[in-house]
Amino acid sequence: MFNLTVISQILWTSLATSSSFVLFALSFALVLKVNKVFNFAQAGMMTAGFYAAYVTVRFLGLPGWAGLIAAVLGGMAAAFVLERVGFRTLRERKASPMFVFIFTLIASQFITYAMTLVFGTWPTTVFESMFWPVSIIANVAVSAWDLPAMGAALAVLAALWAFLRFSRYGQFMIAVADNSSLAELYGIRKDRVLMVTMLIAGAICGIGMFMYGTRAQVQPAAATELMLFAVAATILGGIGNIWGAAIAAVVLGVVQNASILFIPSAWQGFLLYAFLFFAIVLFPSGFHLPDSRKALKKMKAAPAANAGTAG
Amino acid sequence: MTGLPLSRRAGLTAALATALLAGTSGLVLAQQASYKFGLAMPLTGGQALYGNDQVKAAQWAVDAINAKGGVNGKKLEMVVLDTQADPQVGIQAVNRLINVDKVPAFVTAWSGVVKAVAPIANDNKVVELSVGANAPDISKLGDYVYTTFPLADVDIRAVAQYSAKDMGKKKAAVLFVNNETGIGSAVVYRDTFTKAGGQVVAYESYDQKATDFTGPLLKIRASNPEIIHLQGLVAESPQVIAQARQLGITVPITSYSGVYNPKLIEQLGAAAEGVIATSLAPGVGDLPAVAEYVARWQKEVGRPPNGLPYTQYLHDTPYLVAAVFSSLDKKGVPATGENFRKEMLAIKSFDLPLTGKVEFSDDHTVNKPVYLVEVKGGKWTSKAVVNK
Repeated sequence: MFNLTVISQILWTSLATSSSFVLFALSFALVLKVNKVFNFAQAGMMTAGFYAAYVTVRFLGLPGWAGLIAAVLGGMAAAFVLERVGFRTLRERKASPMFVFIFTLIASQFITYAMTLVFGTWPTTVFESMFWPVSIIANVAVSAWDLPAMGAALAVLAALWAFLRFSRYGQFMIAVADNSSLAELYGIRKDRVLMVTMLIAGAICGIGMFMYGTRAQVQPAAATELMLFAVAATILGGIGNIWGAAIAAVVLGVVQNASILFIPSAWQGFLLYAFLFFAIVLFPSGFHLPDSRKALKKMKAAPAANAGTAG
Repeated sequence: MTGLPLSRRAGLTAALATALLAGTSGLVLAQQASYKFGLAMPLTGGQALYGNDQVKAAQWAVDAINAKGGVNGKKLEMVVLDTQADPQVGIQAVNRLINVDKVPAFVTAWSGVVKAVAPIANDNKVVELSVGANAPDISKLGDYVYTTFPLADVDIRAVAQYSAKDMGKKKAAVLFVNNETGIGSAVVYRDTFTKAGGQVVAYESYDQKATDFTGPLLKIRASNPEIIHLQGLVAESPQVIAQARQLGITVPITSYSGVYNPKLIEQLGAAAEGVIATSLAPGVGDLPAVAEYVARWQKEVGRPPNGLPYTQYLHDTPYLVAAVFSSLDKKGVPATGENFRKEMLAIKSFDLPLTGKVEFSDDHTVNKPVYLVEVKGGKWTSKAVVNK
C-alpha cells in the first residue's frame, strides 16, 4: 500500500476531486464573512445550479458550455430569491441570527423537495455518460476531467481574489464584512452589497455543481451531503477566512482519501464528521497559524520588560 | 306438551343469532366477492426508478388475471403502498395493509424493509412474500415470511464460482456497500471464491451515502486483483464502475442483478464493456413470453424496464397469489393469513409465465438457474447459465 504510485495517485485524485469542494467551501465562507450568515440554504443554490445545467444539456440538447452558463444562472437565481425574499426580509424584521440559521435549513429542504417533485429522486449527471477518458502518466491515472476541473477552480479563486482586491464592489464587500454599520455611514448600500455577495456565491455554486455533476451522479438531496464538506472546511480554515476555507477543502480531501492507508475504507465517511466534531470543539473560532509579526513583537517586548524589572 | 314453548327471550335470541349468522355469511360472501393482497414497494426515494417499474409489472399481471375472469370469477385487488425502500416507512405501510386493508398476504422487497416488517407479518399471521430482496438471512425471518426470489447465496455463489472455475481467476477483490444487502452478499462471495480455490486480496466497503469511491478503489488497485466483485446499490454502482475505470482499473467487474439494466450502458458508455451481471430470470432469448413482455414495455413505455428480471418476478407474483386464492375459494375456506400460508405450502410448486417454475423449500428458500449477462458491443448479451 505504501508505495509511491499509490501515494501519488491519492494526492492527484484528491487534488482533482477537491476542485468542486473548494468552490463549495469558497461560496459558504464568502457568505459567512460578508453576510454573516451560516448559509445552509447553499445546498438549494447548488441543487438549482445542477438542475439548470441538467435541463440545458440533457433536455434541450445544448452543448456543455451552455450547461455551464445555465448552472451559473441557476445558482444565481436561487441566491437572488433567497436574499431578496428571505435574508433581506429577516434583516428588516431584525430576526435573530439563530432564526436566520433555521431559515437557511428550511429553505434548503424546501428547494430540495421542490426539485424532487420536478426531477424525481433518481441520481443523474450533466452529460449522459459520466465516464471520462484516462491517461496513465508516470503510473498515475489522470482523467480528462481532472485538469479542466482544477483549472476552473483556480480560475474562480483568482477571479474572486481580483474582484475583492481591485473592484469597487469587492472593496465594498470587504468594508461590509469588517464593519457593516461603519460601511453604511460611508454611504455603502449594504443591501446591495449583500445581494452582490449572494449572487457571486450562487455563481460559484453553479460552477462547482456543473463540475461535480459532470463526473458524479447528483440527486436533489445530494447537495446537503456535499455541504457538510464546505462547512467543515470553513470551520477548519478559520471562520471569516475565505482563502483558508479553500485551502482547508483541499487538505480535507487529501486527508480523507489518504486515510485509506491507515483505516478501513468504511470509516472514510465517518472521518468528515470526526473532523467537524473536533474542529468545533477545539477550534470554535477556526484554526489559525501563529502570527509571525505578533510573535516578533512579543519577542521584542520581552527583553525590554525583563530589563525594566532588573533595573 | 312434548316441547318447550318458545319464550319471548328465546325467540329474540334465535332471531339475533339468525341475523348474526346471516350477517357473517354476508360478510364472508362480501370478502370473497374480491380477493385482496398488498404490495409495498418504493414509489418515491432513491430506489423509486426500480420500484415503480416493478409495480407497473405487477399491475399488468393483475389486469391480465382479472381480464381472464380473476379468481374464479372474483376480482383480484392489489393495494399498493410506498416504502421508499426505508424500513421505517415500510413498517407504516405494512401496518396499514394488515390493519386497515386486512390483506392475508402482502408482497415487498429491499432487504432492509423485508426484515423490518417480518415481525409484524409473523405476529399478525399474515404472509409476507419477499420478491427481489436477496439478503441470505431472509430465509430465517419466521414462519410467515417466504421469498419467491433466490437469495444472495444463489446468484452471488454462482458468479463467484464462475469467476474462479470457468474464468480461471485466482485473485479477487470485493467492494461492497456497507448495508444489510452489501455485507451479507460480500461474505457469500468471499467464502465461495475462497472455497473454489481463489484468494480474496482486497475486501473493502463504502458508506451508503458516499459520493466518491476513490479511497477503496485505490486500495483495491494496490492489491492487483484479477477480477473485482461489486456489491453496491443500483443507484451508485455505475459511478463506482466509472471511477474504477478512471483510476486505470481495467480488470473485469462482476456484480449482481441490480446492475443489469440499460441505464448502466447509457451512463458508462465504453467503460461498461466487460461488466458481468447476474439475472435470476430467463432473458428475451430464453423464453418467448419474456420477449413479448419486453416488447410491450417498448410499445407502451418506450423503453425496456429497469431491472428487467426483478420486474419479471413482480409480474409473476400476482399469478402465484391468485393461484392460492383460487384454491382457497374452490375449497370454500376463508382467505385468512393462516389459510393462505397453509394453502401456498400445500400447492408448493407454481408455474409462472415469465420466471418459470418456483417451488417453496422447507427452509423458506427457492432455487433457480442463474443467467450471467455481460456488456458486449454496447448491449447486454448472454454469457452463461449457471446452477441449471
